[in-house]
Amino acid sequence: MHHSSRSIALVSLFAALIAVFGLIPKIDLPLGVPITLQTLGVMLAGCLLGPKRALQALMLFLAAVALGLPLLSGGRGGLGVFFAPASGYLIGWPVGAFVTGLVMAMLPTASPRSAAISAFIASAVGGLLVVHAFGVVGLVHIANLTWEQAIMGTLVFVPGDLIKCALCATVVHTVARGLPDWRFGG
Amino acid sequence: MGSLYSEQHTWLHAVPAYVKLLCLALLGTGLFFTDQLHMLFIASACCIGVFLSLRKAATKTKPFLVGLVIACALIAAFHIYMRHPTLAAITVMRLISTSLMGLALTLTTRYSDLLHVFERLLSPLKHIGISSEQLALQIALMLRFTEHFFVLWRRLDEAHKLRTGRSGGFKILAPLTIQMLIAARRVADALHLRLRR
Repeated sequence: MHHSSRSIALVSLFAALIAVFGLIPKIDLPLGVPITLQTLGVMLAGCLLGPKRALQALMLFLAAVALGLPLLSGGRGGLGVFFAPASGYLIGWPVGAFVTGLVMAMLPTASPRSAAISAFIASAVGGLLVVHAFGVVGLVHIANLTWEQAIMGTLVFVPGDLIKCALCATVVHTVARGLPDWRFGG
Repeated sequence: MGSLYSEQHTWLHAVPAYVKLLCLALLGTGLFFTDQLHMLFIASACCIGVFLSLRKAATKTKPFLVGLVIACALIAAFHIYMRHPTLAAITVMRLISTSLMGLALTLTTRYSDLLHVFERLLSPLKHIGISSEQLALQIALMLRFTEHFFVLWRRLDEAHKLRTGRSGGFKILAPLTIQMLIAARRVADALHLRLRR
């Protein structure tokens, strides 16, 4: 299979999967904690596609949002969402996916178990730390909060995102068992 | 997959997409660099005026407007609580102006017109191997498969409900992802045959 066709297909279909994650209603975890899935899509993109394709998938997704398609959770879309207080998180998605992919590519993925552990670490670094760092910058510049206030504000979402890292690891584990020839991290 | 574009014709529909995008870019940049209350007040009043002039076309943005009002109220309450009322006013006026203009552009500009502008903007990137035609193809593929994967998710959820009596929740994420990866391989094969690359 040629590299270019494969890249186009993977990038487009993964962007579609992230869009579907926005259409799926929030999921209640066993302890009754509700989560939405699009940031999980950021983590999964990095783990499954590698840095370059993950970056492209998220850029494509955000381009479609900017074009006015209601693909964000709650049916949001259009250029207005890039001026909202939480827009830093959105802009952080492609970078977060890229970093997740980079970290995943550096970690062992030979067995389903090692792939899952690597996915947890990679998604915690890229999907959590990097995305929240961008989110904080957005809160400081758009909502005019101080750095301390923005960091305190974003910390509220960290426990939920840690659960998403664990979910991402679970999905990667299942993919490693279901598709043994899949190359994690690109 | 529907767009947020409104078929209800308004005066802003007649303005070319690139002009609206340029105005939005200039407005966003200008508002970011000014802290002067009177300038921000004039800008907000103009933006609210433009948005209200869209009349019925703007009604489909009600959920977004509710979210915007809540965000503004929270930010304003926070800054006032911290005894920074001027900062509250500056932030809220910036937020209202840029969000309403972004929304107005989305409501009055066809997806295809915006895509055309983006293609033109991206055309210089051809020299470093990024093709604007590829962007259009990828967006088309993405939209086609968003619907497909959503149907697939509902089928998986219903199958899980039949087996267990409960919604699949996070348990169907892995099968959905695997189905997506398998579909991507099939699509890549088809693209390779069609595009010869």
